[in-house]
Amino acid sequence: MGSGLLSLGTRAMFANQAKLDTISNNISNANTEGYSRQEVQLSTENGRFTGAGFYGRGVKVDTVSRSANTFLTREANVNNAMASADKARLDKLKQLEKALPTGEAGVGYAAGELLNSFVDVANQPQDLSARQVALSRAEALASRMRNAGSQLDTLQAGVASDIKTTVATINSLAVQIADMNQKIASVTGSGHDPNDMLDKRDLLIKQLSEKIHISTVAAPDGSMSVFIGGGQQLVLSNHAESMGVAVDDFDAAKLKITIGSYSGQTPVDESQITGGTLAGLLEVQNKDIDNARNLLGQMASAISWRVNQQQSFGLDLSTPPTAGAALFDVGPPQVLASRNNTSSQVTPPVSMTIVDARNLQASDYSLEESSATPGSYTLTRLSDKQAWTVNNGDQIDGFTINIGATVATGDKFLLRPVASAAVNMKRVLDKPTGIAAASPITGTVEATNKGTSTVGSLKVTASPSAPYQNINIVFTTASAAGEGYELRDSTNNVLGTGTWVAGSPISYNGFELQLNGVPKDGDVVKVALTQYPASSNGNALSMLALRDEDLVGRVKQTSGANAPGATVTNAYAQIIGNIGVQVQDAQTSSDISSTLAANATELLSNLTGVNLDEEAARLIQFQQAYQAAAKILQVAQTVFDTLLNINR
Amino acid sequence: MRISTAHRYESAIESLQQRQIEMANSQLQLTSGKKINQASDDPIAASRAERALAGISRSDANQRSLEASRNVMQLSESSIGDSVELLQQARESLVAAGNGSYTDKERQTVAIRLKEIRNQLLTVANRPDGGGGFVFGGQGSASPPFIDAIGGVQFVGQGGEIQASAGEALNLTVDGQQVWLKGKTGNGVYTTAPASTNTGAAWITAGSVSNPSALPYPAAASATPPQYTVEFAVTAGVTTYSILKDGGGTAISNVNYQSGKGIEIDGMSFSIAGQPSDLDTFTLNQSSNSLSVFDALDSAINSLSQSNQNSGKITQAVNKGLSDLDSILGNVQAARSAVGESLNRMDGIENRISSSKIAAQTERSNAEDLDMTEGISNFQNQQAGYEAALKSYAMVQKLSLFQYING
Repeated sequence: MGSGLLSLGTRAMFANQAKLDTISNNISNANTEGYSRQEVQLSTENGRFTGAGFYGRGVKVDTVSRSANTFLTREANVNNAMASADKARLDKLKQLEKALPTGEAGVGYAAGELLNSFVDVANQPQDLSARQVALSRAEALASRMRNAGSQLDTLQAGVASDIKTTVATINSLAVQIADMNQKIASVTGSGHDPNDMLDKRDLLIKQLSEKIHISTVAAPDGSMSVFIGGGQQLVLSNHAESMGVAVDDFDAAKLKITIGSYSGQTPVDESQITGGTLAGLLEVQNKDIDNARNLLGQMASAISWRVNQQQSFGLDLSTPPTAGAALFDVGPPQVLASRNNTSSQVTPPVSMTIVDARNLQASDYSLEESSATPGSYTLTRLSDKQAWTVNNGDQIDGFTINIGATVATGDKFLLRPVASAAVNMKRVLDKPTGIAAASPITGTVEATNKGTSTVGSLKVTASPSAPYQNINIVFTTASAAGEGYELRDSTNNVLGTGTWVAGSPISYNGFELQLNGVPKDGDVVKVALTQYPASSNGNALSMLALRDEDLVGRVKQTSGANAPGATVTNAYAQIIGNIGVQVQDAQTSSDISSTLAANATELLSNLTGVNLDEEAARLIQFQQAYQAAAKILQVAQTVFDTLLNINR
Repeated sequence: MRISTAHRYESAIESLQQRQIEMANSQLQLTSGKKINQASDDPIAASRAERALAGISRSDANQRSLEASRNVMQLSESSIGDSVELLQQARESLVAAGNGSYTDKERQTVAIRLKEIRNQLLTVANRPDGGGGFVFGGQGSASPPFIDAIGGVQFVGQGGEIQASAGEALNLTVDGQQVWLKGKTGNGVYTTAPASTNTGAAWITAGSVSNPSALPYPAAASATPPQYTVEFAVTAGVTTYSILKDGGGTAISNVNYQSGKGIEIDGMSFSIAGQPSDLDTFTLNQSSNSLSVFDALDSAINSLSQSNQNSGKITQAVNKGLSDLDSILGNVQAARSAVGESLNRMDGIENRISSSKIAAQTERSNAEDLDMTEGISNFQNQQAGYEAALKSYAMVQKLSLFQYING
């Protein structure tokens, strides 16, 4: 009997000792990341059968288990993946937003100031200082564009570097998981869970899912296989695949993701990478930076082209006065050949010519031979996936596509009409006298006119088809429709006729003459060559009028007419609005996904984490139990002593 | 339900940090005075502010253009004022020269004075605008625009006005050719002139219109305006005159001449005074816009400088000079009132510009400025919240069962 008491007491002490050990372990690891609360599982020893029934044989320690829940773990990992994707994107977008400042520091303000500076040129066309101010404003606009463009390039470089680091981390984590799988499998046979190893592996998987969205499958040997988007295996038992980065087929500054063994890497479909830092970075690289770059480039191209065009319509201050030279240069549009092309990649056989930069859209385009009908090509606008079948010389969205004879079957090209415009924008006019403030033609009303007409405005709207000459507009016949007129040259040859109607201009040879008042028969309005370009400000006024012209992003309709674009100010307001909404969206999704992630993590950690109050209570509980068990031994000793003393 | 101690601490720290971030944001808004510091704070308001900012700089540009125009208009206003004064002086001198008791010498003194005035007028007409251009330079001219060439002062340039800004009709120059060289000849409807071959001492007045509906002028654009000739004949001491229209006879034929008596034909009424000689003629023609202030003065100066002239020639010269000067004064006054009107209009335009600037400023301020009261009260709220969070954190972290286990 006494021996029973001793073994009962010993077992109880042993069990309580185990409990106290585990509680101490829990307290020690209360703040260890990834640690799951452990518990000693106790059970009763099977009873001893006697004639008088079953006597309990005390308590036994079954195993040490950890609090884990596969579902909650997976849930937390998925949510963490989403949260870190959103956070990575948000961080980068906040940087991107800084490249496009608002207010006085912005590109839009600089563009407005440039056009406004032509007020002073118009006020004093001979004043070189006003012209110098206009040149400085042009430089300010160009440098702000360049600055914004190069900030986007820097951002892209930063994203690329982050992608590389992320992929390196993913590889390292994958190897560690494979390693852990090996270790766990080797001890699975013991019949007890290797709790601390499982915790470590769970932590590695959690860290991995912050980098990339994964799915896991447990194997009977205790190992955990890891798959990335699209079922691509990353870790299988104790073997880890390796992910890599490769340069984009078209753009060397961009990276794409590959996976495979060290010997052979195959590209990963990036649309399948749906979560984790990597997904956020890829979205920024493939969508957000391109979008911002194209919007900015579209504005840079349109302003430069239109200002240069207006320059060419006017006369500068040189002697003799000549048509104004270009004020800006944005470099040629980019054609990027795929590195898989068989035709020349240094000088691609495809090129673009900008015809009217006002029609350029903020998008890249892909060009490839149509698979159904070889010899014809499919051009796709990547922003909205609008596709056209094009041939050499076709004009789309303000540019002409030139397809050379050496394009080989299977060649692919990426056309970027505006992407590099902002970063390449330069002021190329250095002399204040080079600003074409003067109009090449001047309209005058004859003093002998009987009518009330005066010259409202005389504008050059297109390059002249023939050299300018002195023209007399002679009003000949009044009719119900309006006032008939003849355009006559200096020797009275009739060059053309028309009917003037109030409000509509008289157009000829690229100019548009708007009259105020009403002409009478016999009245003459002269459109003569400007004799004193130094004091003419006609073209400066036209420059000023660009403030109100819808010169950014006109859309050519199928009817051939143009849907209006945005003015310079509106274009930039739209860009910052656009980027602002993007950042706001990213902020909102980041807020939502991080709340979800926090909730999931809280649920999980409430289950698996250590509560110190609980441990303190248990500590007292099992301390007392231990003391009670010790008391059993004391009783056993007393009982034994009593027995020995019988013989005394 | 259990709560993980470590997680509780972590989330408490996280929410404290979150509150700190919010406070930092509020502080940034308070220090910058703006609720929008980047576009993502409120993309729509940021776009609105961007447009309003463009409106502000546009108003500034328009104001500069208005100032430039106002500067020129004020210059031309004062120039024209000067010229009116000069023309009045010329008129007085001419009236004095008409004094029959004046000797040739005295008339020549007047001529010298007129010459002086003429030169001063030329200086006024060539007044620079202070920026390398000329007030009366038209749409571009040589510098200076009015050149004292052989045969009279000429405008070397292109007529019309240079406009200041596309939006409003504001001018940066005055059409000098129109002001100085394009006055109405004669009385504005027709001109009267003696033939240069006249030998008598008669002169003709500038005339007036007695019946507008009977006037042959202005003639249709395609037609040549008719020319009337008053021909005198002196036979046996009796002076008669006939009026021919384009060489053909009219109702007035061989009428006895009476000095100073009004003659009327086709709605035109004029008189001839003094003693005409036989075969003296006077012509009437359509008025044209070709009266140059300088030519008028030159011709008066020329007439007054000559010696031994008969009184008829002198009176004719004075008469013509006065009528020309009146016509020119009318022309110049018209230009002056146009300039004055445009100065007047500028006040209205300036009001418009400044009110649109204020509107843009208000719009910008509404879009992006922080309501200080709201900002400060938000900040104080957040501060109170943060303090409460800190306090509760400190209180909760003291609550642990371990605190109560002794020994």
